[in-house]
Amino acid sequence: MKTFNSNQLLESLQADVRELVLAATYLQKEDPELLLTAPAPGKWNVVQVLEHINSYGRFYLPAIEKSLQVNKPQREMFKPGWFGNYFTKIMKPGENGKITNKMSAPKSHRPASGLDVKPVMDEFFNQQQTLLALLEKAKQKDFGAIRTPISISRFIKLKVGDTFRFLIAHEQRHFLQIANAISDVRNATGKSQANHQAVQRSPAFLHG
Amino acid sequence: MEGIEQLYTFIAAVQSLKENEWQQFSGIWQPFECKRKTILTAAGETERYLYFVLDGLQRAFYVGDDQKEATIVFTYPHSFSGVADSFLTQTASNYFFETLTASKFLRTTYKQLEELMNKFPAIQQLVLKLTAFALKGVLERQIEIQSFSAEEKFRSLLKRSPHVLQIIPHKYLASYLGIDPATFSKLLGSVRI
Repeated sequence: MKTFNSNQLLESLQADVRELVLAATYLQKEDPELLLTAPAPGKWNVVQVLEHINSYGRFYLPAIEKSLQVNKPQREMFKPGWFGNYFTKIMKPGENGKITNKMSAPKSHRPASGLDVKPVMDEFFNQQQTLLALLEKAKQKDFGAIRTPISISRFIKLKVGDTFRFLIAHEQRHFLQIANAISDVRNATGKSQANHQAVQRSPAFLHG
Repeated sequence: MEGIEQLYTFIAAVQSLKENEWQQFSGIWQPFECKRKTILTAAGETERYLYFVLDGLQRAFYVGDDQKEATIVFTYPHSFSGVADSFLTQTASNYFFETLTASKFLRTTYKQLEELMNKFPAIQQLVLKLTAFALKGVLERQIEIQSFSAEEKFRSLLKRSPHVLQIIPHKYLASYLGIDPATFSKLLGSVRI
């Protein structure tokens, strides 16, 4: 199984999170109407996707924070666990930038309708800053030994390093969904995209 | 450590340090490298590092309401890099800092630098002078942005840093000057330097 240099893994996950912050910064400058329009009946609009991501953060960020209070100094290498690799792999979008395996969100992570743009956006940005800070904090800790619980089963615990990988892969997956939703809404409404860099800039995480 | 001599040369031109001061100062740097198009600091984050560029090209940029990226500054060897204002004030950055090509740096943290500044007046002096020169550059650029025509901005850039045409993709240079990429190409064809 592939092992990672601990610091390099954390730095690369931080760069992934910053890429998502940039993508969300573009969304913030979009017409709110675009973010509130469902790409098709029964599908989530962009704000709902963000709220879905936020609901994961609400569970995982405090859980990670709590587990990182343990005092175990960092090891040079990180070896992912079996579950960690599995969850990260099924979440991560394919190399071609397509979401291959569709899945439906667990009940507790299904977003409401009628959400406002600003509070959801604000929470997203706050959570990403917290996530960046936790990745920084993990540089001092043995994140291959410390474990965190997961939201869908009481019986499985992941290595914190895997929780980071899984959580960020989950966000990347949904940012692809966001890019698709935006282009679907644009096509449906015939709105021009004079200067739409959010889609033009192909997200770095697709190139691994 | 690779690059430490280049750092010495750069520093020595600004401020002379005694042997023990240089010894302490040179001891706070760690090598760091990353791939192209890596975001090293996001808007909202506080800059942790001061970088000294050994290889590659980097830029800081702001995303405007019209979703246009305004390139604020480029850095390349040998110079300091990172989000300077966020680093010095330890407050959140308003913009992003990324590598445009694969890059090699030496870097140090605010804490490490602050410790040495408190201990050695000469190192404080060094940081003050570097900040002063950076401020001078920023204010000069402010004049160019507010008062110069596209052609004047183009001429001024090429007079100051003619080599950037070779190392920086032209779309980013246009974004740096705040002119349209098409206008930039036209100027490139028509202006004699």
